[in-house]
Amino acid sequence: MSERTRRATDGGSQPGDVPDATVDQGGEPDATVGPDDVPDGTPALEVRNLTKIYDGEVLAVDAIDFQIADGDFCVLIGPSGCGKSTTLHSIVGNLAPTEGRIYIHGQDVTDTPTYRRNIGLVFQDFQLFPHLTVAANVRYGLDRMGVPSETAEADVADILSLMRLSDIADRLPEELSAGQQQRVALARSLVLEPKVLLLDEPLGDLDYKLQKRLERELLRIHQEFDTTFVYVTHDQTQAMRLADQIIVMNEGQIEQSGSAEAVYNRPATAFVATFVGDSNILTGTVADVVDGGESVAVETPLGRFVASAANLYSEPASVVGETLPFAVRPQFLGLDPTGPNALDCAVSDVISQPGRGTQVVLTATDEQGVATELQLHSPERLSLERDAVTVGWDPADAIMLERTSVVPGIDLERDLLGE
Amino acid sequence: MPTTETDGSTDARRVEVESLSKSFGDEAVLREVDLSVAPGEICVVVGPSGCGKSTLLKAIAGLVETDDGVVRFDGADAGDLSIPERDVALVFQEFEETLFPHMTVAENVAFGLRQREGVADAEIDERVDEMLDLLAISELRDDHPDELSGGQQQRVELARQLVRGCDVLLMDDPLADLDYKLQKRLQLELRRLHAEWGATVVYVTHNQDQALTLADTLAVLNDGTIEQVGAPAEVYDDPQTAFVGRFVGDANLAEGEYVGTEGETLLVETGAGRLAATSHAPPESAGVHSYVLVRPERIAVGEDAARKENVVEATLQGRTFTGEETEFAVDVAGIDEQFQIRVPGNVSVGAIGDRVTVGWDAVDARLFHDGTLSASGEYTPAQLRELFS
Repeated sequence: MSERTRRATDGGSQPGDVPDATVDQGGEPDATVGPDDVPDGTPALEVRNLTKIYDGEVLAVDAIDFQIADGDFCVLIGPSGCGKSTTLHSIVGNLAPTEGRIYIHGQDVTDTPTYRRNIGLVFQDFQLFPHLTVAANVRYGLDRMGVPSETAEADVADILSLMRLSDIADRLPEELSAGQQQRVALARSLVLEPKVLLLDEPLGDLDYKLQKRLERELLRIHQEFDTTFVYVTHDQTQAMRLADQIIVMNEGQIEQSGSAEAVYNRPATAFVATFVGDSNILTGTVADVVDGGESVAVETPLGRFVASAANLYSEPASVVGETLPFAVRPQFLGLDPTGPNALDCAVSDVISQPGRGTQVVLTATDEQGVATELQLHSPERLSLERDAVTVGWDPADAIMLERTSVVPGIDLERDLLGE
Repeated sequence: MPTTETDGSTDARRVEVESLSKSFGDEAVLREVDLSVAPGEICVVVGPSGCGKSTLLKAIAGLVETDDGVVRFDGADAGDLSIPERDVALVFQEFEETLFPHMTVAENVAFGLRQREGVADAEIDERVDEMLDLLAISELRDDHPDELSGGQQQRVELARQLVRGCDVLLMDDPLADLDYKLQKRLQLELRRLHAEWGATVVYVTHNQDQALTLADTLAVLNDGTIEQVGAPAEVYDDPQTAFVGRFVGDANLAEGEYVGTEGETLLVETGAGRLAATSHAPPESAGVHSYVLVRPERIAVGEDAARKENVVEATLQGRTFTGEETEFAVDVAGIDEQFQIRVPGNVSVGAIGDRVTVGWDAVDARLFHDGTLSASGEYTPAQLRELFS
């Protein structure tokens, strides 16, 4: 599915134009969203039954619901075309939903123009005004809102200091490093005290070292400000490092929403187990409940294995006879096992990455000759000279899953790659 | 088509550059660069933006005329060879523009072969089929480029280059534009393809994971100068300069004054006390300002830390569970930079703000000083600090 989002950067916006959501928060301030008297516990953002169909035929977002708690850092992730950008731009207000409502601090903003939603927006390319200094870039929105000059000056000074930009307040964007430009873009949005800050792959173009550094910078800034962050990325490692809440999307639907630990340790589907971190997925028929109900035995084309039932929301006994997947993380695969799970594999590749241990690519072949690729990861540097190995895993580390995906009938491998 | 011999070497060409220099106006981009890539080896060139790595690749391809120095294929000076005569395959990041939009996938892949005289149609078909199969894009053979995802397009571009059977492959960050999962997948496919193919590869990237995963040999370039060349593990474990230690992988930095040796170890007086470290090139006298680098995965935290040679008290500032590992950020009193620590598994050592003990052994702490900051010699301590782990 091709996701045809109209980005806010489209539509003839050139450098020097006013990027709507970031600075053009003019109009009557009293009409903007976000009175401070909303009841405690009201989500900063709530999306109900959001649906977007492009051109009457391409279903980009399919009746999704989610909430983001006030002050949380929420990351929307999924493969290309999963609907994450469409969702973000519906929240921004530059895409009209086909159906559904969007609430910011309890107030329905579905029909509210962007500049009154009290949101900030940071893009990958930052979109700073090239002819304005750092301070003037940051101040621009305050002036547009008619904030008195003295207040504006103090606000700008405060935020420049918080963002460690005071020393370079008089520089032009072209004199700044990418990291500094990003801080200016953030400062320009945050000085307007938006209730929700939306970030669209803001680290996408940067090199590794800078990404890591700016991730930390973002976390620090999020902690300093009382603002809810909604962040879109395809990079699950970024999601794990940044998010209080991760929303995993796939083909316009939500596969799972939860904390990073919940999504990683208790994936709802095989898709989530494979997209967020890596997993080996084996699928088979549930044959039996064992270990007093803690585990189930699964007959797969590669043999019979025991997997933990702890993650099932159904009664283990009720899934006997069903064909279901289970997931084992690469770091839980071990060599020469002694337990109930053992699988003979050919060694396809051994990759030692300094500082990160060793990754082993394995191939297991069933009686019909169908090959399955598996991954083993050890934090230690392994020297593996063998062509064939037996691998195994603790039943507790094999997570029985209720289904492959919320999307019926997907080819997991292709789906993960966004193809 | 090169074939892999049993001992791992191939009959692909050796690629060498010797004393290669290039300036654009006043700006030196390459400064007397020497590099030798053995037949069938993958050499990954890494370095910060603007270090000259793309220019180096273009010089090998013949796309850039150098001011000085020699490019050699199998020992023969390539100076007089045109780009086609060099017979190298080139894969760039901007692959969308290189595919012919009006041709199908199969026609795109066959194009290079058809341009060549004396290749029979039947042979072309066979080689195209084989290549499409190898890259798992057989079912796309009749599609046009605009119907494909980014990853599929990049695989078509790879097929288009590989089908030519060149024994030298030059790649400039070919996976950079792709989604994370797809990058990981294609990294593995590239390794598999290379194992079957045995071409000599020079691969430029800013992506550390890719560099350390793909490389037989890693070449670290900084400001047009080669800082270090070696196997990834060697470069990572035994950086010759502070720049290399800091740029390749992550490394924490503690600064202090060198006070002398005690047996094999070197002692540095820092704000956090006296720390033991090691070095191949220790300072010549006491009092020299020094920089100690420690890898995040070599630092223990909590109970395990007390048994280490260097033990310091710190404040826990952050904890992130990343799936396979837990990352901690700690402030060590007297050390400017926040230390990063990585521990396998899902580990807890206390609440944010708690006091924690952290420790590491001298052998895991590498000492550098102003004479060993970088090979170019123009590297400043401020740049080192800026080069965040």
